Order: sequence, then C-alpha cells, then structure tokens
Amino acid sequence: MPTAAAAGLRCYELWDPMPDEVREGARRFATVQALNELVGVLPFAEWLDRAPSYTRRQMLMAKVQDEVGHGHVAARVAEDLGMPRERILLDYLEGRSKVHNIFHYSFASWEEFGPGLLLMNSAAILQFRSLTKGVYLPYARALRKIEREESFHYQHALDLTHEVLTHGDADQRRRVQEGFEMWLPRVLAYLGPPDTETLHANRMYQIGLKPDGNDELRQAWLSKIIPVFRKLGVHVDPAMVRQMPSGEWEFAMPDWAEVKKVVAGGGPASQRRLDWVRGALDRNARYRRALRGVA
Amino acid sequence: MPHVPTDDDVYEVFAQTGTGSALSHVGSLVAPRRDAAWHLAKETYGRRDDLFRLWVVRRGDLIVSSAGDRGLLAAKTRMPHRQPGFPTTRRRDRSAAPDATIAAPAATVATQAAAARERPGGSVSECGDAHGVAGRALDGLWLALADDLFVLGNRLGERIVDYIDLEESLAVGSIGQEALAHAETVLALHGFDGPAADAHFFERPREQWQVSRVIGRLGDWPSTVACGLVIAAAVTVLAEEPAAHEPAIAAVRDEQLVHLDHWRRWARALAAWPETSEEFAQAYAEVTRSAGDLFGAGPRDVPADAPPGPSAAAAELHGRLAALIRDSGGPGSLLPDLPVARAAGNGGSVLADCLAHGRVVREHYAPEVFR
Ligand SMILES: [Fe+2]
Repeated sequence: MPTAAAAGLRCYELWDPMPDEVREGARRFATVQALNELVGVLPFAEWLDRAPSYTRRQMLMAKVQDEVGHGHVAARVAEDLGMPRERILLDYLEGRSKVHNIFHYSFASWEEFGPGLLLMNSAAILQFRSLTKGVYLPYARALRKIEREESFHYQHALDLTHEVLTHGDADQRRRVQEGFEMWLPRVLAYLGPPDTETLHANRMYQIGLKPDGNDELRQAWLSKIIPVFRKLGVHVDPAMVRQMPSGEWEFAMPDWAEVKKVVAGGGPASQRRLDWVRGALDRNARYRRALRGVA
Repeated sequence: MPHVPTDDDVYEVFAQTGTGSALSHVGSLVAPRRDAAWHLAKETYGRRDDLFRLWVVRRGDLIVSSAGDRGLLAAKTRMPHRQPGFPTTRRRDRSAAPDATIAAPAATVATQAAAARERPGGSVSECGDAHGVAGRALDGLWLALADDLFVLGNRLGERIVDYIDLEESLAVGSIGQEALAHAETVLALHGFDGPAADAHFFERPREQWQVSRVIGRLGDWPSTVACGLVIAAAVTVLAEEPAAHEPAIAAVRDEQLVHLDHWRRWARALAAWPETSEEFAQAYAEVTRSAGDLFGAGPRDVPADAPPGPSAAAAELHGRLAALIRDSGGPGSLLPDLPVARAAGNGGSVLADCLAHGRVVREHYAPEVFR
C-alpha cells in the first residue's frame, strides 16, 4: 500500500514543526484508538475464565494482552502529543468521549464469540492498514505493530469458529450462524456512515490522516470476509449482503438512529463497560501512585 | 541479567533512510563531547545516503540484553500459543488427525494421573539421588505447586484489564501466561500429555485439588502481590533442588526469578508509600501466615505409615523459602517456622470460581473437543 510520502504528502515525526490541525488530528486519532482498545478488550476479557481448555485460555489471554498492548502504544502516541493517559479513560467516564458501537455489547455464548471476533478483527485490520498510510509517522508505526498482531487474532478467531463448527452439535452450529447474523450489521456500522459523496470535503482526508473513505473500506472488507464465512459453511443471506455482477457489494443499511443511540450509551453493555472502568480506576489509583511515587 | 555498558565516550548510532523504513542500529563511534557526537555520526554513517532521521545515544544510557538473557527473550518458543502460525498449524494438525487420536477416553486420563502418582519418582527426580519416598514427596510438591500456578495464572490474566497501569497490565499478562505454561510443564514432566493435563485442570473434582491456603487470599492488588511473591519464591526454591535438574525446570526457574523480582519491586513500593503501607503490611502478614503449606505435603501424598510432622526434606525447603521471603523487601513475614500440611478444600471461593467458570463452556461439548 502506498505510504503518505509516496502519495506526495508531507510526513511528520514527533519533533517536526507541523500544522496544528495535523498535531491535533493525530492526537485525536491516537486517543480514540487507545480508548477503544482499552474498553474494546473488555467483552473478550469477560470470557477468559470460561475459555474451555488450557490452550484456548492461553490463546485468549495472549489476545487480551495484545489488545491492552495496542491501547498502550496508541496511548503513548497520544501522550507524546499532549494527551495524558489518565485523561483518556477519565474523558470516557465523564462522557466527553465515546467508544464504537461494537463495544457496547457482550457475547451471550461461546458460539457467538468466534464469528463476532472474526468480523470485528477483519474490519479492524483493514481500517488500521488504511490508517498506516497517514502522515503522522509515529502513529503509522504504532499501527503497523497493531495490525500485525490483529492478524494473529484473526487466525485465532478463525480457528475458534472452525472448532465450534466442526465439533459442535446442531444447536451450537446454529448459534454460530446467529452470531454471524447478529454481528454483521454491527460491524458494517462500525466502519462509519456512507461518505463517498463527502470524503473529499473531510478535513482529515485532506490533511492526510484519513487516507480512505468508509464506503471504500466497507467494500474491501466485505470482499475479504464474506468468502471466509462461506468457506466455513456459514450461510450468507442475500437479504443481508450480496455481491452485484459489477463486484460491488450491496447490503442492508444499518439502522443509523439505533447506532447513534447505542454509541451514546444505550447499548446493552454500555453501563457495564463504564462501571468496569470506573471500578478499576477507583480500586487501583493508590497502587499506581505507589508505583510512580517510589519507583 | 540486562546491564548498562559503561564506555562514557562511546555513542551508538541509529539511522533511517526513508519514512517507511525503521530506524536501525548502524554502528558506534567515539566522541570527545556529547554535542559533537551527532555531527560525527553524520560524517561517519551518513555520507552516502540521504538520511531521514539520525539518532545518537550515549552507550552508558542504554540498558542492553546480555547473552544470558537469550532464554528469556526467546520466551515464545516455550509458549507456542504466542507464535503467529500457531492457530493455523493447530487447525491443520487437528483436521489431519484420525478420530482415534483426537479422542482421549476418560479412563486413559485417570490412569495416567494415577501412574504419575504411583511411579517411584517421576521424570523430574529421575536424575537425582532420590530414593522412592523422597522422590514421590518431591513429585507431590511439584504437582501441588502446579495447582497453585494454574489458579494464580488465571487470576493474573484477569488483572490485565484492571489497568493499574498500562505497562503493569502487560507485565501481569505475561506473568500469568508463564504461570500457566509452568503449570503445564510440571504436568508434562509428570507424564501428563495435553488431554490429560486439560482433564487435570478442568475436570478434576474440587476435593482433589491441593492448592495452598494462599490461593484463598488472592483478592485485591496487595494480596495478589504478596501471593505472587510467595509462589514465585516457592517455585524458585523447588527448582533449585538437585533432583530437579531438567532443562525445562531451569527455564521455569529463570522466568520465576523474573516474576519474583517483579513482585519484590511492588512489595517495596507498596510498603514504602504512605497511602498503601498499612494495607500492604496486613495483606502480606495474612498471605505469609498462610504460606506455611507451600512445602507441606498434599492431602493425598502422606503415606499412612509416615511419622507425624513434616519430613526433613520439606523442612529444609521451607527454611530456604523463609530466607528468600525474608529478603524480599516486604514488611514483616508471618511465615510459620515449620511447614504445615496442605489440606483438601483450601482455596475457598477463588478456587471454586476458577473451576466452576472453567466448566461453563466445556461441559456442553464432548470431552475430546477442547484440548
Ligand atoms: Fe487491537
């Protein structure tokens, strides 16, 4: 994929003079990502103690650790640009920032876990790969590390889904199918509202921090992931998504009003996520001070 | 152990040729003064290339790995689940395996566990001078510690999202995965293959677990630090037994020494910080008071004809544990003078939850599916 430099855009390192909107835009992107990694890992972490075998547990623990690691490298990029890491979670608790729609849900079953994970991971990979073409180089580097680990998670999700589909009974396989159908519209929405008409007027596109449009990414994602599910034996209902003879994908448009409501805190697990983060900060703040104060 | 190299006038040079490539180490130079180093580096390493970035670091400011750290740095080879290709290989291997080898009938599992117990000294103690009884006692201690490591590893995994600090989340995630890996190594050395180890951890009834009383104390962060410290200390002590000379155990010991250091740093920080010192002293007292059974025989390992009280070997291990805990930077330790036996039913709700949650998914599938 061409880098920003190859596209003729000027690139920036941390200590380079740069336009304020690039600095602020990069800080915002990195902050949003850090928050979404740190909160977005919680639905997976909730399943750690239910992972059904030694190896599954190790694999899931490694994934959860990686996700927090992504939060960490993104937070480091944001911190260097003037956003203290404490504020990333505090802004979320105090309602100044929000997490993506997909992180306002929990998994109801192990069978739903695999397809949900696979859909989310594959969408995140395309999105991060796109953002690595951005003009702020420390963030682009962080994303390259993140994207590599996301591809391990993708393989992990594939293995997990395959295991349930191969060894599960009819009910368990049906729950995989339902999980796919439940998560597909959520992840379609996660990739953002349609923007083919408006992308070129988007300031973040113009300054080189958002290299690709939402619609473009959504199409690329469907081309990649739908065949994977078909190969796994999951039925893809043409009423939900189908490919036109032109190669382009048509899909049932997500209910954007519902998405907005979920993101604003009206999702089934919205409160649960906030409570977890608040609890963790409350019970551990003094230990962090001890570590910093004496170290 | 990593060290700080100390040539004060030597500078290490890092250069990057384009925006897409990485900054890499290209060499070093000698500079009489700090402010000359960068210009000298440009003349030394940047003559023939258009450089995008050039960084120079004084050697004495680096913390570098040494040859002895290679084992620790290669940690993923002992934790295959971390290797990128692991899920794919696993899936392929399992699809290729005929059904007969996937299925591990419950009877085999039970027999394997029993065989490990009956054998006069498992493979761990084979190369030592251990006669039957001492060897079996040592095996019992290892298997009991594997129980502790398994539960501790799980609890530490949950701490990854406790956000004490982001770097701590990552550290605790690795300590947790290593604790689980060490528990599995111990089982493997005692004759448990993958399915048998899974059955041992996921299907064994609670009465057959033999965790230490410290497991029941695993709660808030101070008690987690104290439990992590005493368990790492115990594993380290046992791994130094001559009878345990086994490359896999040496690797376990090296990693547990790193864990021990980690928990010691926390113990010192929590003990010294006014806001946490009292709370930590209390947690440490409770955990060390409960830690007397780390080298106590498990409920199933005491021969009927054994004299009452701890064996001489256990008392000796316990003495070394006490010395290690004493210099661990914690506040006063209340470790008893002599080891006390592990009792069935230790671990309280910590163990009960760990086992119950572990069965939630597993019980709905045939026994051979997950392994
Ligand atoms: Fe991530």
